[in-house]
Amino acid sequence: MLTFQGTRNFRLRLVLATLSGKPIKIEKIHSDELNPGLTDYEISVLRLLEQFTNGSKIEISYTGTTLIYYPGLIIGGSFTHNCPKSKSVGYFVEMALYLAPFAKKKINISFKGLTSSHDDYNAEGIRFGLLPILEKFGVRDCQLHIIKRGFAPTAEGEVKLIVNSLLSTPLTLHALESAKFTKIKGIAYCCRVSPSMVNRLIDTARNMLKPLGCEVDITADVWRGENSGKSPGFGMMLYTDNKKNWRVFAEDIGNPGETPEDVATRVVLNFLENVENSYIVGPNQLGLVLVFMLLGKEDLGRLKIAKSQIDETMIWLLRDIKQMFGVEVYLKEDEDDESCMIATVRGVGFTNTNKKIA
Amino acid sequence: NLRGAFGKRRWDISKLIYMNNITPESALARWRGEEDEEDEQEENIEDDEDEDFFTKKGNGITVGSTEAGKQKVNEDTFIPVMKTTEELELKWNVEKLGQLAVKFLGSATK
Repeated sequence: MLTFQGTRNFRLRLVLATLSGKPIKIEKIHSDELNPGLTDYEISVLRLLEQFTNGSKIEISYTGTTLIYYPGLIIGGSFTHNCPKSKSVGYFVEMALYLAPFAKKKINISFKGLTSSHDDYNAEGIRFGLLPILEKFGVRDCQLHIIKRGFAPTAEGEVKLIVNSLLSTPLTLHALESAKFTKIKGIAYCCRVSPSMVNRLIDTARNMLKPLGCEVDITADVWRGENSGKSPGFGMMLYTDNKKNWRVFAEDIGNPGETPEDVATRVVLNFLENVENSYIVGPNQLGLVLVFMLLGKEDLGRLKIAKSQIDETMIWLLRDIKQMFGVEVYLKEDEDDESCMIATVRGVGFTNTNKKIA
Repeated sequence: NLRGAFGKRRWDISKLIYMNNITPESALARWRGEEDEEDEQEENIEDDEDEDFFTKKGNGITVGSTEAGKQKVNEDTFIPVMKTTEELELKWNVEKLGQLAVKFLGSATK
């Protein structure tokens, strides 16, 4: 049995275990903290996994610091998942994206809870940033609907993930050429605050992006009434597409006491950083792309990345992939552009057994 | 010494990634040629005062520094850790924005 320590890549290790069908043991879960053991959101991840699969078995030690997971079959289907207030729904939806295309039944999951936070992808980030990545691998009918918005502390939001494209194997990716970005788009949203906040977000972002000399189109999304929850909040997401339909994005929400100008400034600066530090995919999309490349058929997939994208998170991911699937990702200097590298991944030939039987 | 005569050793990142005897942090440091600085930092570990190991935060006591706590929270995400707004504001001046404009279609600087 494969053994991991700590909570690094907690969700991804469980996802990779499910996809590879290998049982894993995770030790020392928050063992050096005052409240050792699994947190409420990690327990919630296990609950989601239990609902998502059939036949999986989870054993947790008395102190909650050790977990053994025996994966089952990915079933999917329709259900509701209540997320704890400590993590946004994005934390759980992101995990579901790795499994959803390989399920037996079409996915229709309602995630209830916090729709926006600083630490994880917000509903917009997943909808406009991650779902287009899945399309590149053949998952075409995949949507995320925001039914209700829910800011902290009440977190009464709801999003619905619908995945109708079930794959047997993801398409092999060859992405070596980038192209110019066409225009900058975005969404500025708010709940239970004056709609002028959204206008201030948009104006600040537009002014800051003016020197780029390209078109900026940011939509205002003001939520009122029951669907906006009881907690006030605002946030913004910016994205840009290049001519090859690859997208780079950045997003954030306001902290208590922050002005819309502060938030817009932070989002624009993070967006600029992401554009600078990306060649084809953004730094916040790389994990999803590499895992789907790994799951492709037994062929070489290639992706050109900026050298600045190689960080600790990526190395941890690649080490986990090797442990779970025995596959190494080869990184080679790009001869044409010294700021880039070419990541070559040999697909493991993953096959969705549910699809095969059907 | 040898290093002086032949220059810095160039590491292959593909090998460094899978060297389980080194942490991802030191793998990156070696690849970027920052290993000397890393060694110096390691040597200075003993000099560091550990006075603020137990830091009082809010109503309770948090073990470890706040920064370490933050890192632990971010261990399970692919969202990169960004520099502070102040650092980024200094970096992204009009000149730097002009350089980035080349990546955009229809930019004025094209």
